[in-house]
Amino acid sequence: MGLSFAAPLALLGLLALPAIYWLLRVTPPAPREIVFPPVRLLRDLAPQERTRSKTPLALLLLRLALAGAAALAMAGPVWNWAAPLQGSGPLLLILDDGWAAAPEWDARVEAAQELLDEASRVNAPAALLLASQGATPPVIGVEAREALRAARPKPWLPARASAASQVASFAKEHRGARLVWIADGLEQGGGEDFANTLEEAKGQGAQVDILMSARATLALQGPKNDARALEATALHSGESDGGVLEALDAKGRAIAHARFSFAGADRAKARFELPVELRNEVSQLRIANENSAGAVALLDARARVRRVAIVAGAGDPTQPLLSPRYYLEKALAPFTQLIKIDSRDADPALAALADRPNVLALADANVAPGEAFDAVSRFVEEGGVLLRFAGSRLANEPDELLPVRLRRNTRVLGGAMSWETPKHLGAFEEQSPFFGLAAPAEVTVSRQILAEPDPGLNDKTWARLADGTPLVTFEKRGQGTIVLFHVGADAVWSNLPISGLFVEMLQRLVLLAGESAAEPARAAVDSGALAPLRTLDGFGALGTPPAAAKPIGADFKGPPDAEHPPGYYGPAGAETALQPVGANEELRALDFSALRLATHGLVAARSALDLRPLLLTLIFVGLIVDWLALMFLSGRLRPAQGAALSLLCALALAHGAPAARAEPRSTDLSQREREAALRTRLAYVLTGDALIDETSRAGLQALSRVLDRRTSFSPGEPIGLDLSRDQLALYPLLYWPISAAAAQPDSKTKARVAAYMKQGGLIVFDTRDALTARANAQPTPEALWLRDCAKGLDIPELEVAPRDHVITKTFYLIDGFVGRYANGDTYVEALPKDDDAGGAPRPVRATDNVSPVVVTSNDLASAWAEDKDGRPMRPLTPGGARQREMALRGGVNLVMYTLTGNYKSDQVHVRDLLQRLGQ
Amino acid sequence: MTITQTHWFDPLKGPVEGLRDPAVADVASRLPRLLAKAREVAASLIHGVHGRRRAGVGETFWQYRPFAAGEAAQRIDWRRSARGDQLYVREREWEAAQNFFVWIDLSPSMAFKSAAAVDYKIDRAAVLGLALADALVRCGERVGALGASPALCARNIIERLAEILEAQRPDSRLRNIPPSAALPSRAKLVLISDFLCDVEALEARLQDYAALGAHGALLMVLDPAEEAFPFAGETLFRDPDGGTPFHAGEAASLQRAYALRLDEHREAMRAAAKKAGFLFLQHHTDRPAAEAALALLMGLEEASWG
Repeated sequence: MGLSFAAPLALLGLLALPAIYWLLRVTPPAPREIVFPPVRLLRDLAPQERTRSKTPLALLLLRLALAGAAALAMAGPVWNWAAPLQGSGPLLLILDDGWAAAPEWDARVEAAQELLDEASRVNAPAALLLASQGATPPVIGVEAREALRAARPKPWLPARASAASQVASFAKEHRGARLVWIADGLEQGGGEDFANTLEEAKGQGAQVDILMSARATLALQGPKNDARALEATALHSGESDGGVLEALDAKGRAIAHARFSFAGADRAKARFELPVELRNEVSQLRIANENSAGAVALLDARARVRRVAIVAGAGDPTQPLLSPRYYLEKALAPFTQLIKIDSRDADPALAALADRPNVLALADANVAPGEAFDAVSRFVEEGGVLLRFAGSRLANEPDELLPVRLRRNTRVLGGAMSWETPKHLGAFEEQSPFFGLAAPAEVTVSRQILAEPDPGLNDKTWARLADGTPLVTFEKRGQGTIVLFHVGADAVWSNLPISGLFVEMLQRLVLLAGESAAEPARAAVDSGALAPLRTLDGFGALGTPPAAAKPIGADFKGPPDAEHPPGYYGPAGAETALQPVGANEELRALDFSALRLATHGLVAARSALDLRPLLLTLIFVGLIVDWLALMFLSGRLRPAQGAALSLLCALALAHGAPAARAEPRSTDLSQREREAALRTRLAYVLTGDALIDETSRAGLQALSRVLDRRTSFSPGEPIGLDLSRDQLALYPLLYWPISAAAAQPDSKTKARVAAYMKQGGLIVFDTRDALTARANAQPTPEALWLRDCAKGLDIPELEVAPRDHVITKTFYLIDGFVGRYANGDTYVEALPKDDDAGGAPRPVRATDNVSPVVVTSNDLASAWAEDKDGRPMRPLTPGGARQREMALRGGVNLVMYTLTGNYKSDQVHVRDLLQRLGQ
Repeated sequence: MTITQTHWFDPLKGPVEGLRDPAVADVASRLPRLLAKAREVAASLIHGVHGRRRAGVGETFWQYRPFAAGEAAQRIDWRRSARGDQLYVREREWEAAQNFFVWIDLSPSMAFKSAAAVDYKIDRAAVLGLALADALVRCGERVGALGASPALCARNIIERLAEILEAQRPDSRLRNIPPSAALPSRAKLVLISDFLCDVEALEARLQDYAALGAHGALLMVLDPAEEAFPFAGETLFRDPDGGTPFHAGEAASLQRAYALRLDEHREAMRAAAKKAGFLFLQHHTDRPAAEAALALLMGLEEASWG
């Protein structure tokens, strides 16, 4: 920190100040000149005491200050100069580019840029070596700058061994080399060895500096979606108290947050105790505000939805309430994927296994010996969960796939022939997965099958009746588990299947299948390896895999590297995650205390603030003030003129400050507004960016032409609006392309816009960033801008426009709104949930009002825009005449939606209505 | 009140760049306004001026008086005398048309106006001169431009004089004392100027006129700023006549000395005028023009017939 000068010698100019002072004193400002005819009379007057006129003190001081400022400016003052990093030797810059460098990547690149700039200032050769590219020699000169610009953090931690050898040879080749290592602060990847190499180089005369961020590096490992909670372990190196863990779904929307706190330990667990349905939605966990791949943990198919196949032994399809299948389906459907079994000719168990479930539920069904038995055994061995429910068939002929030996007969409690009353459930024990669930008193068991009291029966029991009789028993076989309910899955033997407890028990049982249900993946292993599906980049955003990514074997455990970036591998829907941070890894901070190496903060490298522009501005302002004062003193300037002039100067200096705007006249309408009121027209918001505004205009013009040609609505010429001034109420639809460079509207403007939306206006926000936006990456500047802007606008809850929304049917039947890009989502006001689920599905849904907001990112206007010859102005992605046509159709629908509201939603019911009338 | 700016243009050159309103220097644009003003002033003068109301050499009938013995018999008006026993003499009104000569100072020092004044001095001088000429002509006198034209008796005397003044040669316009000219006897002179000239030169010229039997009035037209010297601060006074500028230093300190000097100059002028039998009047350009015109007219009458 501090002030320093690039050319301190120029400060000698300050010595001239006394001379300037003297000169200024003796040269007063010119007297004011006045034409005066009786000069002849004046000349006759006795000579005056002509005191020598002096420069006014204030003016004198001002001029001295100007001279001083000029001298200072010539000396090139710089605030916060990175003094320790100065040097003139050949510079080798080593930039760590693992994920640990990602959170402060910009600062690192800036520091590196500054160092390269500094080297070019002193005319020293400069080279750049990225840690991940240690195998290739460092890039030099201009290429180094380009390489720096192109560099992105890698989603793995590169090994520095090869970089170390490059550094050693560089230090050997160049005498007096400067080695600057912008380190990520982790020992992983051979940090210590690398530091040793640097120290050796220092011993040979090189100047070594290490730049490190003071920020702690956080990482996430071992995500686990177990029976009770979703949890992951956070690691840290460096000082950190904890943070917030976010659970995101596949589209990057945050589902839940959980805090974790290290409290002195080097790791902390964060838990999400969510309903299992929600937990299944989670596709990745990330530490909030830690934009690195290391702070992301991926949840793959193994951690997600369980597929359940139900095979019921008995059951009359005409009497579903008597079938155990009914109760199982009702209980399992909310949180699992039920497999429909088509078993017309095959064994039902075999048919169920063909669909590769995670859980196979056999409700009072036996497994036929032979092929089916082998298949089910293999299923369990390989990690499946076999869930069995008792019944009369099982009681009669038990098979081998049971956790315990069963007695041949059943125990009847509280029947007509028994003295005993139906039994209640006992409390769940701690080793049971059901531990923590309350056993309600109204759940009773009136009939069950009994296990032979073999040794070890206790350890195989997860639930008991109040008298200690086992109710749920289990056995681990291979990687899988067999679980037996000693009651049936229907309500005949017990009312357990119609209690809420049953659902909770099943939830926990189904989750048992989580870690070992990679059957589809296993299938892929047979054919070879898992191809990369989507991989993380260094910042922790999922994207298409890089060209260098190679398939992994099923047993590949990492660590990830250039050929195996972390991410999802395998076929979609059954993907396997390669975690950025392995389950057993630790974060070790680099420790330089033993070495004699200088470390600096990242900021030290920034030669922060060049004060010269500031000084030059001051000098300029000072000169203007001086000139004005002179003009005034010599009477060539009247005060009013002076004030106007200085005001003008102030305006000119505060460039970008818009000239004073006339307040909108609320009472009388301008000519333009009168025309707009007479003829409906489309309007767009002026962003101030000429290109965007022109595109909006051309786009809306083309859309207006199409509307005129194809519909009964012939709009007038589209119009660009300044939100702060123009009357909005005259325009039904406002197209608002977002430009991140535009200034945020002030609160008054926001109030106008909010009022416009409340009065029924519709605003189409277009962030135009579908190409660059990623679901779970950093939001684009446009998205951030919109987010900021939306704060004061009272925007209702939004959702992606559903297929059955009336907006897709107002003129054309379309699927979505494509524009220049086709991949962005379109958001409209969320519709109320369809509550009459029992009725016939409605073909279309609508609210009573028009959604006040449509948010898209597809850059609609660019797709519509045509030049005056009718040729499209912008290329489309992916492209084609069809996309352009669909974009126009979307536009027509939008306009029709704005103008007709939910009219079309009634229209599509017309056939039904007519039928009803006919009755 | 302190004045920080005065207006001046070079009347010989016409329009000047940098003047706030270039039109003021353009004779073509100024003249119609001046003429209108002069007519207006003249009209207000006429109300107060009538015939001489005394018998004299004239054409209009004045009165019959009884014939006095010893008079020339041809003076008897026989027609009137035939009506009675007495002899009457018909008298006509006294109508001795006098020759007036107006001189208006058109030198650069006259083209001056300060913020306190209504008109440029030169404009005021022209208005006064022309209005006076018109009034005099209507009273039956003859008026000419001194040194430029004979005395005329014309209805459109204002236009005529204006043309004559306009057509004057630059070198004659540059002079700030009235020119020497051949004058008819008993000519009356009206000299309008700021009289910021040499007293000696002017006195000599007035003596010349007196020797020719002419006398009349001097009207000193001054800008209020020239009277009050309302200046302050470091000031450089420029001479419109092209003399060296005067660097005053702190102008406010000069105020008293200047006032004394101006009084002294004025008294010297007054003395010189008196000596030659001329009236000396003064007028400030912040006062109405009619005031000065009337004073001048009355002064002339008093001097002639008082």
